[in-house]
Amino acid sequence: MQIAISVGTFMQALVWSSILSLTAIGITLLYRTTRVPNFAHASFVTTGIYSSTIVWVFGFHPYWGIPLGFILGGLVAVLLFYMLEPLRKRKASIFLLMVATLSFDILMYGVLNILADTLQFEFKILSRNIYFVPMDLDIAGIRGIVLISLAAFLVTMIALQLLLYRTNLGVALRACMENPSLAQTLGINVSRMLLISWFIAGATAGVAGALLPFYQMCNTYTGTYYLAEMFCASTVGGLDYLIGAPIGSFLLGFAKILLLSSLASVVGPDIINYMMIIPLSILVITLAVLPTGIAPLIMKRRGV
Amino acid sequence: MLRVENLNSGYGKLHVLYDVSIDCGKKEIISVIGPNGAGKTTLLNSIFGIADIYSGSIKLDGEEITKLPPHIIARKGVAYVLQMINIFSELSVDENLRISMALSGDKSSDMLDYVYELFPILKERKKQRAGTLSGGERQMLAMSIGLVRNPKLLLLDEPTAGLMPLYVNLIMKKIGEIRDQKGLSIVLVEQNVQKALEVADKVYVIVSGQVVFKGLPSELMGEREIMKLYLGMGD
Amino acid sequence: MEQIFEQILLFVTSFIAVYSVYLIASVSLNIQRGYAGIPQFGLVFPIAGAAYIMGNLSTRLAMWILGIKTELDPIYESSGVIALINPILSSNPLLSIALFILCLIIGAIVGAILGLIQVGPAIRLRIDYLGLTLLAFGEIANVIARAYRPLIGGEYGVQVPSVFGWAGKNTIVAMTAAMLIIALIIYAYAEYLGRTPMGRTMKAIRDNEVAAAALGKSLVKYRAIAIVIGSAFCGIAGVLWAFFNGSVMPGQFVRFNWTFLPWLMILLGGIGNNRGALVGTTVFVALDRFITYYKHEFVGLLPFDVIWLYQILLGAITAFILIYRPQGVLPERPYIPKDVRERVKNIIASSS
Repeated sequence: MQIAISVGTFMQALVWSSILSLTAIGITLLYRTTRVPNFAHASFVTTGIYSSTIVWVFGFHPYWGIPLGFILGGLVAVLLFYMLEPLRKRKASIFLLMVATLSFDILMYGVLNILADTLQFEFKILSRNIYFVPMDLDIAGIRGIVLISLAAFLVTMIALQLLLYRTNLGVALRACMENPSLAQTLGINVSRMLLISWFIAGATAGVAGALLPFYQMCNTYTGTYYLAEMFCASTVGGLDYLIGAPIGSFLLGFAKILLLSSLASVVGPDIINYMMIIPLSILVITLAVLPTGIAPLIMKRRGV
Repeated sequence: MLRVENLNSGYGKLHVLYDVSIDCGKKEIISVIGPNGAGKTTLLNSIFGIADIYSGSIKLDGEEITKLPPHIIARKGVAYVLQMINIFSELSVDENLRISMALSGDKSSDMLDYVYELFPILKERKKQRAGTLSGGERQMLAMSIGLVRNPKLLLLDEPTAGLMPLYVNLIMKKIGEIRDQKGLSIVLVEQNVQKALEVADKVYVIVSGQVVFKGLPSELMGEREIMKLYLGMGD
Repeated sequence: MEQIFEQILLFVTSFIAVYSVYLIASVSLNIQRGYAGIPQFGLVFPIAGAAYIMGNLSTRLAMWILGIKTELDPIYESSGVIALINPILSSNPLLSIALFILCLIIGAIVGAILGLIQVGPAIRLRIDYLGLTLLAFGEIANVIARAYRPLIGGEYGVQVPSVFGWAGKNTIVAMTAAMLIIALIIYAYAEYLGRTPMGRTMKAIRDNEVAAAALGKSLVKYRAIAIVIGSAFCGIAGVLWAFFNGSVMPGQFVRFNWTFLPWLMILLGGIGNNRGALVGTTVFVALDRFITYYKHEFVGLLPFDVIWLYQILLGAITAFILIYRPQGVLPERPYIPKDVRERVKNIIASSS
């Protein structure tokens, strides 16, 4: 049986992997700096979705949601950071930190739903049906989202690389990720480094959310729905290295889209309901074989 | 250089130090010794701004540093060498030192050269991953990371803990050299009473959060009660 | 007058029902987190999974026990089949109870198995990896329930037999009484477990893995026991909830209700502390019921659904507890066995 992978499927995989990477990089970054899996990442993404929505109801093209999502996502993340600070200073257990992020997620879910309800009430839109695909740009015959999400992904990766390896701030950030107490004795303001990493994580997630309505229908639950997949991507890639995020995301993204499209021709449209199983299965298999993900395999070979 | 007056500090509700006063001048090594849990590390943590200070004052070179955050205190010229996990194990020896230098803003490589002279073994293992160093070599690297920032005050938390006698002697000797060659003030918290007394100019004995003795090492030798009760040194 | 009494009865019974199920969930979480230190952020999985499987099996079991044969499909035409089953059950209290207990037992076993599947492979992972793997896994139950139609008919769900129909007018009272009794039995057992050598070993492992391992205690074995017991309780909770609602539908079990809320309840009460779980559960179930019953009063006052305020409130309360009183309302007191207490008393008495 020949499995033909159409250009459309390939591009879809590209888009999804890029968007997923934008979320996963934040999760890994936060994990490396604050040592906690951030369950509130779902809200950061949803904040991005509604950033696009907000610019749209005010008459702008929803792609302007990207800068707004960047800012709002970052700010929401910073809010959570300030909530976690007293816990971190007290050396609270990882359980408490995880529950804290979970509770912030619940809180933001309520806030975002109120926002959605208010937008619906004031602007007469269907705020649980955010879908911008028809408004997408056409760039030389290719759908805008393909190029824009890929660009967003590449810009983010390059910018992070430059930040971390070419600036003093980057050195300080990396020192924090490596050994926060030692970093502090070297004069690094660890709190401020964490603040910056939370902003970055929230901002990238916000951008991801801003792009999502150009890929599928979104509502206030979308971020939560994909949280498990975001975690899978980071974990499969390996939480100990930032490069793990894009690795895991592209692996998972392509696996999911390609598998779904080939299985769909065999099984039929029902397959869409099983979408979540693929990332979860890959997660379980990967962790069984490589308990710390894929990236260590690559990084250790390079003698890092 | 360092003046601690009537310090009361601890962690949250846990009160550890009671009215502790310490003095350390330039080109001086003071040893802080005492039984486990007495509060020696808390003293260092208080100076560095990590512990909670309830009352009292800490002055560095005449300047009040009592309530300042740790990273500011570090930038004022205090090098705190932690007891454990005190190096970047994924980086090489040289990278460890260069990062420390870069972060301190001190561009001159004088201290780097000095540190390699002081600890030739580090120079030998320049390119080696720090995580693969032996215990003694790690401590030397940890101290060097602090030294390379050209500090005024060096805080050492049990630098010889768990090391073999060869390294213990070596490190103690080097601490003396650092004082002589660079004129630093050094606060040395130690479990190894003998060695601590050998190298110190002044010694403080802390028991249950209070200073029970302050004076010259030779004077302490004469205080048999203290030696026996708190420091486990028999007749 | 009778109307008011009816309303109060309705409120009280629904409160007790919700309370019982959440108490079981909280106690189960206490066992998994409090006794064995497992970050079970996917608590919804064994609860929902057991409920869904029971939803699938209960009708068939009833048919088998009562000897009913029909052309109707028990899953896709469940309401028709149930209409045949319920009258017979109502006139047969013994068979009804037997069915009920059988379903509970199966639910417990299913719950335990699901818990093992969920946590087992990940057991050797670091706590943080474990936490998020469990969370990711927790989502799978709802996905499968929606996607695999033969399970509970996809989006439509299935009805389950009414096992307390024999009580006639007092059906709901009988049901909630049974739920409460079961919940209290489970609570008592969990308390007892904490005092047994096995329970104390579990807590020792939670507090200091390395020390416990050095004393030769197998981490994996004790964690597995905690998972099995805890997840079995989850299964029971899921089955009880299904019977109370009379039906099982995908989406009935969401992470907010069945993972987050129990964590919140044990957090308020004090992690590892079952007595605290009683308190925590009371507070949040009361809040939940209050909002459910009175939210229509708020319509028109606010341009949005008051349920969102509820979520914001809960998020804020949790944050507050975490920052200001993380040990909970009733902090855990280490349990000292009676003979040790006696010995200590004697020592103190003899030295003064």
